[in-house]
Amino acid sequence: MIDQTIKTICAEQWRYWLRTKVATTVLILGSVLTLTALVINTFHIEEAAHAREHLQGEAEQRFLSQPDKHPHRMVHYGHYVFRTPTPLSVIEPGVDTYTGNAIFLEGHRQNSAMFAQQRESAGLTRFSSLTPSFLALVLAPLFIILIGYGSVSREREAGTLTLLLTQGASRWQLVLGKLVALMLASSIFLLPLLLACLYVAFSNESALVVTLFCLGYALYFLLWAVVVTACSTLFEKSSASFTVLIVIWMSACILLPRMGSSVATSVEPSIGKLEADFKVEEKLRSLGDGHDVNDPAFVTLKQDLLDKYNVDSVDDLPVNFRGIVAQYSEQRQAVVINEFAESRMQEELAQARIARQFGWLSPTVALRSFSTLLAGTSIETHHRFLREAEILRMQFVQGLNKVHVEKLDYKLDMNRNSSEEAADKAVVEASNWAVLSEFSFEPEAPMARLSSAAMYCLQLLLWVGVAVLLLKLAVRRLNP
Amino acid sequence: MMRFNDIKREAGFVFAHRQFKLTLLVVFLLSTAALWSGHAEMQAQQATIERLLEKDTQEREAVLNHQSSYGMVAYYAFHLTYAPPSPLAFAVVGERDVFPWKHRVRMLALEGQIYESDTDNPELAFLGRFDFAFVVSVLLPLFIILLLYDLKAKEREARRFDLLNVTARNSHAVWTSRTLVTLVPLALVTLLPFVAFAIVNGASLSSILLACVIVLGTISVWSAIVLAIGAAQRFAKYSATHLASLMLGVWLITTVIVPVTGHTVINAAVETPEGGDIVLTQREAVNGAWDKPVEETWEKFIETHPQWADYTAYDPKRDGSFNWKWYFAFQQVGDESASELSNAYQQSTIRKNQLAGYVSLLSPSLLTQRLLSNTASTNVQSMIDYENKVRAFHASLREFYYQQLFAAPEFSKSSLKRLPQFTTTSQFTTPMNTQENTNEK
Repeated sequence: MIDQTIKTICAEQWRYWLRTKVATTVLILGSVLTLTALVINTFHIEEAAHAREHLQGEAEQRFLSQPDKHPHRMVHYGHYVFRTPTPLSVIEPGVDTYTGNAIFLEGHRQNSAMFAQQRESAGLTRFSSLTPSFLALVLAPLFIILIGYGSVSREREAGTLTLLLTQGASRWQLVLGKLVALMLASSIFLLPLLLACLYVAFSNESALVVTLFCLGYALYFLLWAVVVTACSTLFEKSSASFTVLIVIWMSACILLPRMGSSVATSVEPSIGKLEADFKVEEKLRSLGDGHDVNDPAFVTLKQDLLDKYNVDSVDDLPVNFRGIVAQYSEQRQAVVINEFAESRMQEELAQARIARQFGWLSPTVALRSFSTLLAGTSIETHHRFLREAEILRMQFVQGLNKVHVEKLDYKLDMNRNSSEEAADKAVVEASNWAVLSEFSFEPEAPMARLSSAAMYCLQLLLWVGVAVLLLKLAVRRLNP
Repeated sequence: MMRFNDIKREAGFVFAHRQFKLTLLVVFLLSTAALWSGHAEMQAQQATIERLLEKDTQEREAVLNHQSSYGMVAYYAFHLTYAPPSPLAFAVVGERDVFPWKHRVRMLALEGQIYESDTDNPELAFLGRFDFAFVVSVLLPLFIILLLYDLKAKEREARRFDLLNVTARNSHAVWTSRTLVTLVPLALVTLLPFVAFAIVNGASLSSILLACVIVLGTISVWSAIVLAIGAAQRFAKYSATHLASLMLGVWLITTVIVPVTGHTVINAAVETPEGGDIVLTQREAVNGAWDKPVEETWEKFIETHPQWADYTAYDPKRDGSFNWKWYFAFQQVGDESASELSNAYQQSTIRKNQLAGYVSLLSPSLLTQRLLSNTASTNVQSMIDYENKVRAFHASLREFYYQQLFAAPEFSKSSLKRLPQFTTTSQFTTPMNTQENTNEK
């Protein structure tokens, strides 16, 4: 049970807040903002999820409904995959708006994601965005400061501090009373967030993930309430406590996250996709052109095959040599392409990790990493999307190549350009298009997300520890 | 009337505060760090472009050496297009990390290529960029609030207020000169590093001056806001920190709430075609063409390219085993089928940008950001201009290859010397619509 003195002090503080304009304005503004952000973002995400699922279905259906044709045409017809947003992106959209959400999959090439939504914002949301996570990470601390910077120092300035202490309240009781009051006030901003989490938990997100996600934000709010109360106790004048808190807020919430990303780019520069493409192409050229069965790169392949089936020419092979070449070169190309794609992803990840190290300097960065990782809206999830898209690409391209090898006669195939009738013969049945499997993107398994977020949880806990120590120090130095 | 003595005395007072000197140092360091990181970024972009250009030439030479028909050349040869950073881009990265500024295009349907973006690490982009424009538009107002909110209250609390008013020859002069000795050093520590970096980057004098005027304008606007709130009669009874909360409220509303509300309203008001629709439409038209009667493609192609109506005949002996003319014709038709959506997509970006311009009139921070990025040509319009340049370049590629494929089918390597080259200055043909470009000839 919270003791009576603390309760009284807490109630007193609330009475004061409800009397002053600043505190009530901040409380109303904060909760209205969070609610609006939640409602708008929920609609937006649901709409995006819907649109992308629809496009995905349509892309699949169109692929499957293609008529009889040459299997290699289908390799070039290609396929689209769309990334649907994760349930928690209602609160933490993370990199979702900065990455494209559609990829065109085709033979011989690995394309990048297209249509990043951030393009469509005309620069309005470069600093701020109406997402619940931005409000919670950046604005809520400012609100907590505005409400609480004077909670203890005001008593001192008014001379009531001596009165309170001489009337028997201990220093801890006084400070805890103020802290509890401030925590209650900050929970007004936290509450909508928790409600949204409840909504997410009831859709289809792991309860454990949602609970930890909530706990992360709750810790963050607690942390700020403690820091604000500690500063208010430490400094004699409200104005000093105010200035110091604003400076802390500026560095932790605005400055350090951005510095982190700037430092990461300069410490770990990464070459862009275009530049990597040149290297890929250089390597690929030595692998031969899969469209040309006479490319010298396939001489050994041809000889091995002739030996294996004990025949003298490719015409006598029981399989379609053109298809074999396509299959073989696609496989070898994929190895090269993926080697580069993988190293690019590793570079991006290394950059992100450097930026996340700034969590040791700013609790905002710590919670941001924690919440994007848990929500499945971090760069890792985007990379997984790229990898899964690549698996799907190889699967349908090689599936079609297999059809090419087994179901299309070599002579008909080589003869296909001689006349229209010949072209009409060099086709396979549309039923073969079923090699395409359905694509539905899911975020990482809850346990995987939890383990990658653990480190940032540690950063957050460290900050809570620091704040509590600060509070202890402040209480010890509290003298009227 | 202010006198030199007043200013000197006030400077003595102001500079005696450790807090003030510390603030100046912090602003100086922030400004320098932001400029340095932008400078490093632009150097890297510049270097990337140079490396890409070199690679691009090598790669194309290598490709051209292997080909024996125009169709093959057109299919395999990529061309680098790019938008180099302007000399001032180091101060305002602007839209350069969201819009693509480099592409490699080939003769195939452009709609399948132009939306590919080779942008930076999305996680870093999402954390935000720390550039000079950010320091000026978002942080500087906060520092101004911190420096000026207790201009008078500080003296009241120290019980010097009346004394100061009495001893000064003119009581206004005290506050005016105190404000000036606060703001002038602040402006100097912000702008001096900027000017130094701008000179190193070779920015023109007029653009440097313009950027300085914008920064000074920002400082004046925010000082005016802070001083007006501080001097308002109706807030006379408020404490200094209470006033500061009000000032922060103004910052919050203009810097955060106006932009996000504007963004939400604009997004709801301007209809944007779904990107996925553009590419699906284009793919359907391009890849579906394989299975359609050849005449159907020709009919549509000739509609927009009547000059080639008599050249569609196909001679397998001469043109090889595969009809490249028809192949590129259906690529063109594919683009045309998506052009309406694609135009609408671009128009909506332009419209949103325009509306964002009006919204920025309500937000000093947005306005500063936009004005600076206009000065540095890193605004939405510049990025759209680049996209249109790519379209125009692609149109000129088409024009060149159509000439070769249709009119002069004898392959000669020497003619490839006339292959269009992308340059950042030339206008190729009319931008905006590839269809019209090829129509004109």
